[in-house]
Amino acid sequence: MTSGITRQQHLDLYYFMKLNRAVEDTMVKLFRQNKIVGGLYGSLGQEAISVGTAYALEKKDWLAPMIRNIGALLVKGVPPRDIFMQHMAKYGSPTLGKDGTSHFGDLENLHIVSPISMLGDLIPVMAGVAIAGRYLGQKIVTMTWIGDGGSSTGVFHEGLNFAAVQKAPFVLILENNLWAYSTPVRRQVPLENLADRAKAYGIASYIVDGNDVAAVYQTSKEAVDRCRAGEGPILIEAKTFRRLGHAQHDAAEYVPKEMRAYWEARDPIALHEKFLTSEKLLDANGKAEIEKKIDTLLAAERDFAENSPSPPPELAAQGVYCEGCHTPKPKWERPIAEVTPPKSSIEAVWTVEGFGRGKGSRGANAPIHFGDTPAVVGKPVSERKPVAKSSAKKPAKAAAAAASRKARR
Amino acid sequence: MAPVTFLEAIKQAMFEEMERDPAVVLLGEDVGVYGGAFKTSEGLLERFGWERVIDTPISESAIIGAACGMSYLGLRPIAEMQFIDFILCAFNQITNFVAKGHYLWGAPAPIVIRGPSGGGVHGGPFHSANPEMYFVHTPGLKVIYPSTPYDAKGLLKAAVRDNNPVLFFEHKFLYRRIKEELPAEDYTVPIGKAVVRREGRHLTILSYAAMMHTSLEAAEQLAMEGIEAEVIDLRTLLPLDEETILDSVKKTNKVLVVHEDTKTGGIAGEIAAILCEKAFSDLDGPVFRVTALDTPVPYAPPLEEYFLPNKEKVLHAARELARY
Amino acid sequence: MAVDIVMPQMGESIFEGTITKWLKKPGDKVERDEPLFEISTDKVDAEIPSPSAGVLKEIKVGEGQTVPIQTVVGVIDVAGSSAAATASAKAETPKLAPAPAKTPAPAPKAAPPAATAAGAPAAERHDGERIHSSPLVRRLAKEHGIDLTTVPGTGAGGRISKEDIMAAIGGGASAGTTAAPARAAAPPPPPGVSGGQAHVAFETAVPREKIYFGHYEVQPMTAMRQRIAEHMLASKRVSPHVYSVDEIDMTKIAALRSKTKDEFEKRHETKLTFMPFFVRAAAEGLRAFPTLNASLDGINVVLHKEINIGIAVALDWGLIVPVIRNADEKNFLGIQRALNDLAERARSKKLKPDEVQEGTFSITNPGVFGGLFGLPVISQPNVGILGLGAIEKRPVVINDSIAIRSMCYVTLSYDHRVVDGAIAHQFLHKVKETLENWSESVL
Repeated sequence: MTSGITRQQHLDLYYFMKLNRAVEDTMVKLFRQNKIVGGLYGSLGQEAISVGTAYALEKKDWLAPMIRNIGALLVKGVPPRDIFMQHMAKYGSPTLGKDGTSHFGDLENLHIVSPISMLGDLIPVMAGVAIAGRYLGQKIVTMTWIGDGGSSTGVFHEGLNFAAVQKAPFVLILENNLWAYSTPVRRQVPLENLADRAKAYGIASYIVDGNDVAAVYQTSKEAVDRCRAGEGPILIEAKTFRRLGHAQHDAAEYVPKEMRAYWEARDPIALHEKFLTSEKLLDANGKAEIEKKIDTLLAAERDFAENSPSPPPELAAQGVYCEGCHTPKPKWERPIAEVTPPKSSIEAVWTVEGFGRGKGSRGANAPIHFGDTPAVVGKPVSERKPVAKSSAKKPAKAAAAAASRKARR
Repeated sequence: MAPVTFLEAIKQAMFEEMERDPAVVLLGEDVGVYGGAFKTSEGLLERFGWERVIDTPISESAIIGAACGMSYLGLRPIAEMQFIDFILCAFNQITNFVAKGHYLWGAPAPIVIRGPSGGGVHGGPFHSANPEMYFVHTPGLKVIYPSTPYDAKGLLKAAVRDNNPVLFFEHKFLYRRIKEELPAEDYTVPIGKAVVRREGRHLTILSYAAMMHTSLEAAEQLAMEGIEAEVIDLRTLLPLDEETILDSVKKTNKVLVVHEDTKTGGIAGEIAAILCEKAFSDLDGPVFRVTALDTPVPYAPPLEEYFLPNKEKVLHAARELARY
Repeated sequence: MAVDIVMPQMGESIFEGTITKWLKKPGDKVERDEPLFEISTDKVDAEIPSPSAGVLKEIKVGEGQTVPIQTVVGVIDVAGSSAAATASAKAETPKLAPAPAKTPAPAPKAAPPAATAAGAPAAERHDGERIHSSPLVRRLAKEHGIDLTTVPGTGAGGRISKEDIMAAIGGGASAGTTAAPARAAAPPPPPGVSGGQAHVAFETAVPREKIYFGHYEVQPMTAMRQRIAEHMLASKRVSPHVYSVDEIDMTKIAALRSKTKDEFEKRHETKLTFMPFFVRAAAEGLRAFPTLNASLDGINVVLHKEINIGIAVALDWGLIVPVIRNADEKNFLGIQRALNDLAERARSKKLKPDEVQEGTFSITNPGVFGGLFGLPVISQPNVGILGLGAIEKRPVVINDSIAIRSMCYVTLSYDHRVVDGAIAHQFLHKVKETLENWSESVL
C-alpha cells in the first residue's frame, strides 16, 4: 500500500504522527500538573488514522474532528498552542475559554467545524457543508470521523442516508477502536465489519488497517478523489485499538491484558518508523532531527499557552448572538446565473420509468423506489443492479487483505 | 391589490427572498414537487430548480444538521418541518449544536427553521403542538410566532436576513383564515419588537399567534362592558420585548397573558416573573394566565375545545381581573 | 519563589487522592515534568510530574495519606528558574480584576429602596382586620402620605384598588382617568438586579422615584462599572481623605523629553511620555517616606517592602489600574516599556489577573484630559494616590522676574488615619525636587 507515495509524504506522515503523540504526552503532563481544566482524552495508538486521513485533504477541503482527532487538526494547520490553550481554558484559545479540548473550529481559514460531545451530529452537518460547496461550485470534499460506538446513534444513520441520496462529496472515517468507553464493539454492533454500514445507504466503502499510516493515507486519498469526482459519499472503516482509557480518569482495566499487548506491539509510529528505516527513507540523524524540531516547537508553544491569561469573568455573558460581528457571505465559484431564473427554472414533475409522469405526463426525470437510476421493471428488487458503484467492494477487500498482510509483517 | 392569506404571505416571503439572494435555499420533506404539505412552497421548485429546493428524506436531525452545515459556507437555508411537532426529532441538533455555535466558537448559523404549528384544527396529539418554549429556553436562538399575514411576511424576511438561527412558528389555524392587503414593495418587520394591537387603560392582554385574534375578539366584547383592554401582540418570544410590556403595565397596572401553549413553563410564567422583578409596584392585581391545560393535545373535538383557551375563558379572566 | 504542588483532579467526579509514593526527597533537585510522586484515586493511579523546575523544598502530605483534590501536598523552590515558569504558575489562580474592596461594606441602614417603595408590610385596620391592597396602592399611599386604614376599599373583597387610592389622593377624583401616567410611572428596577435585591453600591441618596423624571434613558452599569462603584464607595467610607497640592516646574523635563523623544522612539520602539518621570519621582518619594507605601489592617500599619505603583488607565468602558511591580528597581526604559505595555493590554483586555493586584501606591493623570488638577479617591488598600494636572506654560516669578515655565499641579490624596500632613508635604516636595533637578539619563 505504499506505491505512489513520495519520500516527503512518508516523512510528513511520520512527522505529524510524532507531533500528535508529543502534543498528547505534553498534555498528560499538564493534566497531572493540574493545569488542564476538565478531562483529557487521548488517541494513543490511533495517530495513523487522524494523520493519514486528514493528510488526504486539500487546503480548501473541510473537516470536523472528533475529540481524539488532534492529529487531523495538526495536519490541517492548527498550531499546538491552540490545542494546549483549549485544554487549559485560556483566554488566548480559539474559543476564548468558552469550550475546551478539540471543541473549536475555524470557518474562515482552516475550514474546520467544531465538534460537540453528542456523537454523529457532525455527519449531516458535514454533508450540508459538502452540498453547499457543490452548489457554490467550490469542488470541495468534507470529512468527519465517528467511532464504533458513535455509529449506533440515530443521527449517524440519518446523516449518512441524507448524504447518500444527495450524493454529497463527503468522506466518513469510522474508527473502529473496539471499545466504546467500557463496552466492547460486539455489544455495540452485531457486524464483523462496520464498513458494512455503508451497504444500507448504497454507498462505497473501504476497510483499512488503521495502524498502517501509509495504507490509511492511500485509501483516504482514493476516497477523497472519488468523492471529488462526484461519486457520492464514501465510508472508510479503519480498524484499530484504543490503548488508553476513555479519558485520563479511566485505567481501562476492563480490557484484557493480552489484547493490549497485541496492539502495543503494533504501534503505528513504530511500524512506520520500521518501514522508513528498512526502505532507507530515514536514518538515525533524520529521526533525531525530527524529534528535536518537535521538542523545540512544543516547548515554545507550551510556554506561550501557559502564559495566556484566564478569560475575564464578564466574558461569560457575551457572544450568544451574532450582532453584526460576522457577515456570512458565500464564495461563488460558478456563475450565479446557473442557479437563478430563468436558468434555474425547471418542470417540477417526477417521471416514473415504465409508468409515465405525474401531472398529466409532462416533464422531467424521476426515480422508482430508490436512487436516481431508473429501475428495470419486472425484475424483483434483489436482482436489480445496486445503485451505488459496486466497485466499493473491491477496494474494501483489497484493503482488508493488505491490512492482514501488514499485521503479519 | 387583493388581500393575501397568511399562507400566501409566507410563500411570498420565501419566493422574494430566493429571488433576491441566490444564497437562500429551501429544504424539507415534500417541499419540492409537491410544494409542501400545506402548499407553502408551491411553485418554488419550478422557479428555482433542484439545487435550491431540496426534497429530503424523513430525517429532521439531518435536515437541521445539513442546513447548519450549508450556512457555514454562507448560504441562508430555510428548513421546513412538515409539522412543527417533528422539530423535537431534531432537538439535540438545534439546541446543542446550532444554538451554541456562535457563543462557543464564533460560528454564526443563519438558518431559519419554520413549520406549521398549533391546534384547533383537530390534528390530534402529534400534529397540534406549540413547542416554542423548549426553544425560548435555549440561548442562541430567536423565536418568532406571528399572528398576521403582514407580520408573517415581514418577520420571515427578517429571519432569512438575520445572522442567527431563527425558529419561525406558523399557526396553521391562521393559514387560510386570516387575510390582509400587503404592500407591493419589499419590507421587513423587526425581530424582537411587540406591537400594541388595541389601546386600552384598564388592563393589558399579552398574547401571540392564534390567541392574539381570540384576545382581540374578547377585547371588543369587554369594551361594550366598559372595560378597555389594551392588547399587545408579542410577535417575537425570544428576545422578548420587555419595554413594550412594561410601558403598557405602567399605564394599565393589570396584566392577563393568553397563550395556546400549556400552562406550566409557558411564557406567561416568565412574563409574570419579569413583572414582579421590574414592575412590582406598578401592579394593581395579580398576573392572570389563560392557557391550554397541562395535558397533551386531545383529539376529539369536545376534548380539544375544553383543552384550548377561547374567547369565553379570556372574557372570564379579564372581567375578574378588572374587578380585582 | 515557591511553587505549590497540588493534588490534581484526575476526573470530573474525583474529589480525593492518596499519595502512594514520593519519588523525590526534600532537598532533591527536580526538572519540570520529572516524575515527582505517585497517587492513587478511585478511578486511576498515576505518576505526577513536577509542575516546575527547582528544588523540592517541603513535603506536606506524606505517603499513604489521602487528601482532597487541590490540596497543597508539597512545595518546590524555583529560585533561579525562568520568569516564564513563575508567571505561569501565578496565572493559574484566577482572580477577579480589579480587586473589590476587601473591607466588607457595612449593611445599609436604610432598607433597599425597592422594598421601601413596594414592600411595606400590609397594615391592619384598627379593628385588627388585615387591609387588602396592591403593590401599586401601597406605593402611592407612601408617596402621598396617606394612611391606608382611612381609605375605604371598593375592590373585590373590600380591597383598596387603584381607583380608591386615586380618589383619596385627588380628593375625590374619579377612577383611573385622572391618573397622570408620568407621575404614577414607577422607576425601572436597579440595573442588573432581579427581584429588588438592591446592591450596596446602588444605594441612592433620595428615594428612587425622584430620579426618574422627564425623558430619560436607563443604561445598566457594566460589571466593571459596578465594581468601580463598589470600590470607590468603600474607599470613601473607610478612609478619611485629605488632599495636598503642590506645583512643579516641568520646564527641564519638557525640554529633555522633546529633545530625546524621537531618538528614544527610534532606539527602543516605544513612545517616550511624561509618565515614567513621575513614576520615578514617586518611587523616590516612597522610598524616602515609606509611610505612604503602606496599607492599614485594623490597628496595624502594613509597610510594603516592594514599591508597586498602580497607574490608572482610562478605558472606553471604565477604568483599570494595572501595576508596575518593583518600580524602584526598574531603569527608566523599563518603566516606560512597562507603562506602554500595560496601557495597551488594558485597552485590548489582555491584562492578566495578577497585573492588577498588589499595588502599593497609585498615580492617576487627569491632566491628560486637560484638568488643572484633580483630587482622586484612594485606590484601596493603598493609603495614597498621586494626581497629575495638565502641564502647561504659565508665568512664574523667579528671582523677582517673571518667566514662562512649563508648570504642573500635583495633588496627593492620603488616608489621614495613617499619614499626616507633614509627611504628605515632604513626600510631595521630594517628588518636586526629583523632577526639577532631573539627572537620570533617559536614552
